[in-house]
This record gives sequence, C-alpha cells and structure tokens, in this order.
Amino acid sequence: MNDRIDKQNSVISHIIDGSITIDSITEFENLLKAVPNDPGLHRVFADLLKKEKSPEAAADEYGNAAKLFIKAGSMLQAIAAKSLEWQIFKPSSQEEQTFYSSLCKIGSKDTAIQAFFIKMTCPEVMAFMNSLELQHFPVEKTIKRFGDEENQLYFVVSGALEERLYHRLKKTEKAQKKSAKNLAENNFFGEIYPFEEEKLSQSDVETITCVELAKVSKSSLIALCRKYPNIKLLVEGLYEARFEYDEEAPSRIVRKTARSQLPTQLNLKVFRDDPGKASLNIAGFTENISMGGACVVLGPKYKTGHPGNLKGSRVKVKIGLPIAAVNLFILGTIVWSKVVSMEGKTMTAVGVQFEEMTETDRKLLNDYHYGSEGEQNLIWTLWDTYMEK
Amino acid sequence: MREAQNTKKDAAPTIWAVGGGKGGTGKSVVSAILAFWLARMGKRTVLIDVDLGGANIHTLMGIKSPPRSINDFITRKFKSLEDICIDTEEKNLRLISGSSEVLSLANPHFSQKIKLINHFSRLDADNLVLDLGAGTSFNVLDFFLAADEKIVVLTSEPTSIQNAYIFVRNVVYRRLSRLSNKNPSLKALVKIAMDPKNELKIRTIKELLQFIQESGGKDVAEPLEKEIGEIRPAVITNMIKDSKEKNASRIIQIVAERYLMIQSIALGSVPYDKQIFRMISDMIPLIQIDQSSQAFSNIYEITTNLLKHRA
Repeated sequence: MNDRIDKQNSVISHIIDGSITIDSITEFENLLKAVPNDPGLHRVFADLLKKEKSPEAAADEYGNAAKLFIKAGSMLQAIAAKSLEWQIFKPSSQEEQTFYSSLCKIGSKDTAIQAFFIKMTCPEVMAFMNSLELQHFPVEKTIKRFGDEENQLYFVVSGALEERLYHRLKKTEKAQKKSAKNLAENNFFGEIYPFEEEKLSQSDVETITCVELAKVSKSSLIALCRKYPNIKLLVEGLYEARFEYDEEAPSRIVRKTARSQLPTQLNLKVFRDDPGKASLNIAGFTENISMGGACVVLGPKYKTGHPGNLKGSRVKVKIGLPIAAVNLFILGTIVWSKVVSMEGKTMTAVGVQFEEMTETDRKLLNDYHYGSEGEQNLIWTLWDTYMEK
Repeated sequence: MREAQNTKKDAAPTIWAVGGGKGGTGKSVVSAILAFWLARMGKRTVLIDVDLGGANIHTLMGIKSPPRSINDFITRKFKSLEDICIDTEEKNLRLISGSSEVLSLANPHFSQKIKLINHFSRLDADNLVLDLGAGTSFNVLDFFLAADEKIVVLTSEPTSIQNAYIFVRNVVYRRLSRLSNKNPSLKALVKIAMDPKNELKIRTIKELLQFIQESGGKDVAEPLEKEIGEIRPAVITNMIKDSKEKNASRIIQIVAERYLMIQSIALGSVPYDKQIFRMISDMIPLIQIDQSSQAFSNIYEITTNLLKHRA
C-alpha cells in the first residue's frame, strides 16, 4: 500500500501543474483517498468535475481546495478556488464574511499580493474577486508581447513564466534584450498603473510551465477604484512594493547566501614570505566555494608544519573546469586554517579569500558553480513555486 | 523471483551510476540499497565504490577494513577485478571497495578510465552499481556518462537542488566536449561559442545549438542534439520530510529540459529514515535493515521502475 501511495505521490506535482492529466473521475477519487490534503489536487479535481458537467460536486471541491489553501497560507490560490466555487453558486453574505475572516486569519504579509488583499475590507475583496478572470495557459505560450497595449494586471496563481525586457527602438520595435526575470506564484505583471498613462508593453512574457493566471482588466480596475478609493491606494502600494518584495523574497535570501558545495579539484601555489623558500604546490579540493572565496581541503601530501603557518600566505589557485578548455587562475590569501577530520582522516582545511580575478574567469567560475543567470533564476523561481513552505 | 541465477551470462552487465554533485545527499545509501534489491531480485550484482576521493561504502555493508580495494587493481597488485570482489552477507551481491587514500588516484587519463570501465564490463555479473563521489571532476562525469542508467540523488535543500542541476549541466558539457573532440569543424564552432568573451552571449546548450544551426551547421547541430538528448538522468529526491519536498526533482526536470535540452526522469522520492542513520553510525550493514522501512520500500519501487524503464 505504501509503495502504491508513493508511486501516486510521485506524479502529483505533474497533475497539479497540468503536465499530466487525469480524465477519469473514479481514478481521481481514488487518488484523493490516498492523498486527501493536497489543495492543488482538489483544485484540479474540481476543474475536472466542472468540465464533466457536475457543478455541485465541482463547487464542493473548489470549496475544499479553498479551505486547504487557506490552511497552507496560500491566499491568492484560495481566492482563485473560492471565485470558481462562487461562479457556480452565488454566496450568501454570511459565506462571504466567513471566507473574508478566514483570509484575514492567514494574517501573513509575506508577499505584495497578500498585503494587497489583507488590507481590503470584506466588500472590497468581494468586488475584486468578481472582477477577476482565471485563465490556464500551456507551456511556452506568449501571454503578452513587446509593443502590446498594457491593459491587464495579471496575478500568477500557479506555475512559472519568463519576462524578457527590451530596449525600445521605435514605438513597437524592440532592440537588444535588456534583462530577463522569472515570475512565479504570487508575483504579478502588467504595467497598468498609473491609470492615466497609456503604456505599451516593454517586455515579452512567456510561460515556462503550465500556468494559471488571475487577471483583471484596466477598465474594471479603474471602475473598482472609483467605487472603492481604498483599492486605488492598495494598487498604488502594490506597484511600489513590487521591488521591495522582489528583493526580500525568501529564495533570493537563500540565493544570496548559497555557496556551491560541489567538491572541485584544484591546485594551490602558496607563496612564502621568506625569499629563500620555494613556493609550495599543494593539491586539494573545495569543500565549498563562492565568488568571494573557497574552503579548500588540502590533499594528504600537505604535511608541512602546523596548519596555522599557512595563515596570511598569498596563494594562486588553479582550477580546471569541465566547461572551459583552459584553467582558471585566481589570486588570493589564506585567511584561516584548521585541522579537520574527513572520512576518518585528519586533514588540513584552509579558507582562501579571492582577490584578483579577470572578468572572464569570474564569468566562468560563476557559470560553473551556479549556471547562467537564466538557469539560476529559473531554479529559484521554481523553488519559490514548488518548495516554499 | 528471488532465486539466484547461477548460469554465466554472455551479455555485458548493465551499469548503474549514482551521482549528484553535493556530498551528504545519500548517494551511497541509495546505491547500497539499490544494489541490494537488484541482488534480491536474483540478479548477480556488484556494488562498486568509485568515490576515488572518500570511499566509504564498505562501512555501509558492515566491513570495517576491506581486504582489497580498487587501488589494488589499478596498482596491478591484482590482475583481475574479479580478484578484488568481496562477498557480502547478501547472496548475489559482491562489493568492490574504493580507494582508501584520499585523492590518491588523482585524475586518471580518459583512456585509463575507459580501460577501467571495460574491465568493469567484463565482471561476471548482471548489474554493476557505481557509487560515484561528490563533485563534478572529470572522473565522476566520465563514469556517470559511461553508465547505462544514470541516477542523480539530491535532497530538497536549495543548495542541493542547485548543485544537482550543476552536476547534470556539467555532465552535458562534458559529453559535448568529448563529442566535439571527434569532429574538428564542430570543435571550432564549440570553441567560438564557449569562449566567455564572445559577444554572442551564448551561455547555454540551447543557445549553443541554435548558434551552430544558424551558422550553417544544421548537419552538425542535429546529431549533436540527438546525442545530448540521449543523456536521460533519473532523479531521486532523498531524505524528504514532507510531500512538498518531492518537487525537488521536478525543478531539475524543468530547468534541464529548458536549458540543456535533455529529458530527465523524476523517479520518485525516499523519505528521511532515522533507522538508516542509526545503522550507519552503529556500523550495522544496511542489508540488515528492517524491511518495513519506508525508505527501503521506496527504493524497491524505484528499482522496479528503473528495470521497467530498461525493458
């Protein structure tokens, strides 16, 4: 039984992100018996029931999904599920109030979108939900193109997208790519604020995985803002906070502190202060490495004196990388050294602070240990989408 | 199904390589249990510790000091790999212990590795499970590429996901480098494209192949894409503590498909199991594990899936 459950679990992420579809209601029910508490799975099941013309059952499942999303602290996803439930059966004011209270209980302001919704009153949330339109998109689908008129605000309910920003040549003619960033769950895009400005898109946005977006048109949002001035303030705050929240996203913090832990063989040439002494050549491997320095475990051949003797020495690090035909040479200083025990053996580890590196070597080292900027961005975007707790 | 197959086989053994970049992700444990299940299925199996830097798999099999190691074969103390195989408590399962001297084997030349792999293939076995060391040295990458089944083990920690992806990336680049060595015109194209100073800003395999194709090298790009596409690593997320963590392998799958143009297989996950940690610290052979262990049964499931995939 456990084997069966695990086998089923292994495909759940594919079912939720839409890369695997289950068309049988019975098969889905069996899956939910084995995995009863995954909100994404309930949401997909509700979509299937709706497609199969079982509106009552679909509404129940959307409701179950919304409850589980709230439990998991996923506000936007809960709003999306509840909107779909209420498209089938209009809610009573009591139901609206209950849902609003449960949203407020999430209480977290981890993302700009959560802060946006949590500061609304109950009637404002309900009006906003009525204006939202949910849409699914497959992999590699263009959502908006450079030069298109900006008239939608999109919220990412699930999946990942890439936004490529371009320099503008003429009104709708793009020049060289300026930058690219990934968009994940709880991010938003669409430059529609300030409302008075008619804007043309400066970017292409394309899906990386299957994606669900909640969009609100500029005209609907303007109408909402007229009726509820607080929403206008919140929209303004949403755009202002975008940069700040982007900077503080949990994955970015992890990313900033991440050090590559791929052991890499290298050679250290240790220069001696005493002109009479020849420099030492020591083989070793990195225990971890970043662009600023490395922890290097010295090979067994290093048996010369106390490890502390190495502290302060200037070194030239030679690293051979599989992605480059040439070796990297980095100058640095040993800033600490200690005796460590690895695999039951006593060895010497040193901390090397990198000082001089050519731009080419810096790029190579970065690519080798972290991948290109696009690859890094996608890994962290997906980490936000799939792993963030 | 669990009876030993005592007849000598004609075909070369299937090579399973378990790698993954970062240390501490449980590659050796997965290798040992995978080899155990293959042996239990009646397949004569040799578990080989190819961690030439920090061999330790013998301790997982309850052997404190292996009498012979792969070093004895490389230094020609023994003529045949058969002579350095060590029997284990499990019928059908033998072990070749790794080098006990850290970095003593340095970095053998590519041809020496090919020779070693050829010797592996002559072993009288149905399956060889190679436990690769951490890192992306040429050794690790070449042994990984030489295997019939390529398995990547990672945990759900962000650095492990990143490092596992970089491992796969380096595997693909290593393959590309070996392929371009055989083709002078391709080598020239790859050299231009891989030069970090190039103004074309080619930084990924996908961009490289596009560049080759657009430079009139369609006849070169297409077979290259095919060769690279044949690298299909199977990814296992190990030591998971909640169901969300199973998505780690999905991340590798999406990024590898988009940037490296390879299709990896998300094989499943193995839960964190305290029992395994206790056994390792108490030097109890893993094959004595309580078979109700969820980790143990998940690896059984993964093994059967891999065998189905091969069939």
